[in-house]
Amino acid sequence: MYFILPTCIQMNVLKNIRSLSGFIILFLVCSFLVPLVTLASATTLTVTIQSAGICGNNVKESGESCDGSDLGGASCTSQGFSSGILSCTASCTFNTNSCSTTSSGGGGGGGGRGGTVVSSTGAIFSGRAYPKSTITLLKDAQIAATTIAGADANFSISLSGLSGGNYIFSVYSKDNKGIRSSLLTFPVSVTSGTTANVGGIFIAPTIAVDKSEVRRGDNITIFGQSTPASEITISVNSDEEFFVKKLSDASGAYVLYFDTSVLEMGQHNTKSKVALNGDISSFSKVIGFAVGTKNVLTQLPQKTASKADLNGDKKVNLVDFSIAAYWYKRASPPATIDLNGDGKVDLIDFSIMAFYWTG
Amino acid sequence: MRQFLYKILFIFSLGLILPQIVFAAQISFDAKTTQTQVGKNFEVILFVNTEQENLNAFEGKVTFPNALLDLKEIRDGNTIVNFWIEKPKAQDGAIVFSGVTPGGFKGSSGLIFSAIFEAKKEGVAKFEVKDARILRNDGTGSAAVLSMIPLEVVISKEARIEIPAIQKIEDREQPELFVPEIARDESISNGKWFIVFATQDKASGVDYYEVRESRQKILTFFSRWRAAESPHVLKDQELRSYIFVKAVDKTGNERIVKLSPQNSLRWYENYENWIILIVIAVVFASGAKKILWKKRER
Repeated sequence: MYFILPTCIQMNVLKNIRSLSGFIILFLVCSFLVPLVTLASATTLTVTIQSAGICGNNVKESGESCDGSDLGGASCTSQGFSSGILSCTASCTFNTNSCSTTSSGGGGGGGGRGGTVVSSTGAIFSGRAYPKSTITLLKDAQIAATTIAGADANFSISLSGLSGGNYIFSVYSKDNKGIRSSLLTFPVSVTSGTTANVGGIFIAPTIAVDKSEVRRGDNITIFGQSTPASEITISVNSDEEFFVKKLSDASGAYVLYFDTSVLEMGQHNTKSKVALNGDISSFSKVIGFAVGTKNVLTQLPQKTASKADLNGDKKVNLVDFSIAAYWYKRASPPATIDLNGDGKVDLIDFSIMAFYWTG
Repeated sequence: MRQFLYKILFIFSLGLILPQIVFAAQISFDAKTTQTQVGKNFEVILFVNTEQENLNAFEGKVTFPNALLDLKEIRDGNTIVNFWIEKPKAQDGAIVFSGVTPGGFKGSSGLIFSAIFEAKKEGVAKFEVKDARILRNDGTGSAAVLSMIPLEVVISKEARIEIPAIQKIEDREQPELFVPEIARDESISNGKWFIVFATQDKASGVDYYEVRESRQKILTFFSRWRAAESPHVLKDQELRSYIFVKAVDKTGNERIVKLSPQNSLRWYENYENWIILIVIAVVFASGAKKILWKKRER
């Protein structure tokens, strides 16, 4: 017993053990194996202790069910549910709140339409985004689920574990260049014990320009992504509003080389919307550019942090809201937090932040 | 001639103002009754009708006659406001509120909150919204044109009509699951680590939050729950503690979420491990003693 711990300490593995389970394993190894092998002293001892995983590094390791986005191939189905979105909690265990158990019902009796009885309170969201794009669903402004759209740009997200009541849901998507769509928001009243179906969501196209300033008469490139083979209406807003229609390609991409000779010198805006099979999306974000005397290239929107991203993590969420809330009505707020530069943090700054929200 | 000119001017001004009134967002009250009796409770609900505009920030002050009414309770469980900057609360004889809905809200009957009053004296209780601001979801925070409809409730000693009872909230559900986030920013407490959190409770609304930090995994009860508001500056700036955040709704249901330490303790820094070690050692020692004792007896 007296030589057990010194032996283990000599092995210099103790410091790598962080969790209790790792510690017990080490203790048992030190208690039984080390003395036995040391007493036998016939071989050189090599003991490898795998330390417990670090929760929060997005890599599922020993002792963790999951870690961030790494679910280790698990899904709601593998956890005994029939559908839904499996996610990972902050303590690296599975979060099955968005998994649901469904059982088929109805049908029979003269070929009546089969129904689905969902045991929990939830909502199913479906619609169109961009091919293979990531869709993020916000529930009351906080990320509730993400999914990947199919090659046809269609997506479906199932959310369970809700309570009966009024929710504000929002969705946005990121295109193949990482450009984010505008936030599409819709209030949904969920009845306890039922599943609300929210279909026909049509996420507006993404939009970007290649120049922040364009020499009058030169072309400005307006581009983005939407659903494949769809009619994109691009508006260039000047004193006179110009509408140009383009067809998106098989990947949903569209591009317009707009001749600026028809525009006045000064600031202009552009936005786009999409139409497919009679469905029309809302307008995209509005992107500004100037018509002037020189060409100034610009970066893609995802490479520049939004001005409401107060902590610079490329997200506008509760952290930014909390930072602004700390400075609400306090004297001399930092310039980065006073979004409209009026010397105070008030409702206007929060409204600007709410516009740029990503969750 | 002058009268004719005035008429023309009046019609012209009406033409300018009228569309703004027609399309103005509207803040209004709703109550199940506009007549009540001294000693009875009644509920007043504050709504917003956005009139097709997408609005994302709301603030104001609901005034009421304090001489006639006692404010008993404020309910915000089903509100359209996702994050309160100032949760609706009684202040200087009025209810002040301020909050945002990221992405905006567009609808004809968005509930902001409701309040339950007890009628104290006879009279006419007038409810109004003062200093109201509602902002558009346009990235600049421009103010929406606003119209307000006040509400009057007649309080009499003996009501001639049946006063509807206040709906009791039956809330058996915990506040919704949430994921707190640890962050730091130079502008808050000199760059100290803080935790942010927010959740919803659709039935009765979240009442308060508490935070507990513990370096031990099992023996957490040695550390105290502390009342907290987001952002909450962490006591353990080395981030070596388990952090528990508790959300409690207005009927007492609790939701506790746990965050693992970002920098966990070495095994020998956790006294729980030493307790286990001592227990195992004692068990081993007593076992060995028994074996040796039996051998000696033989």
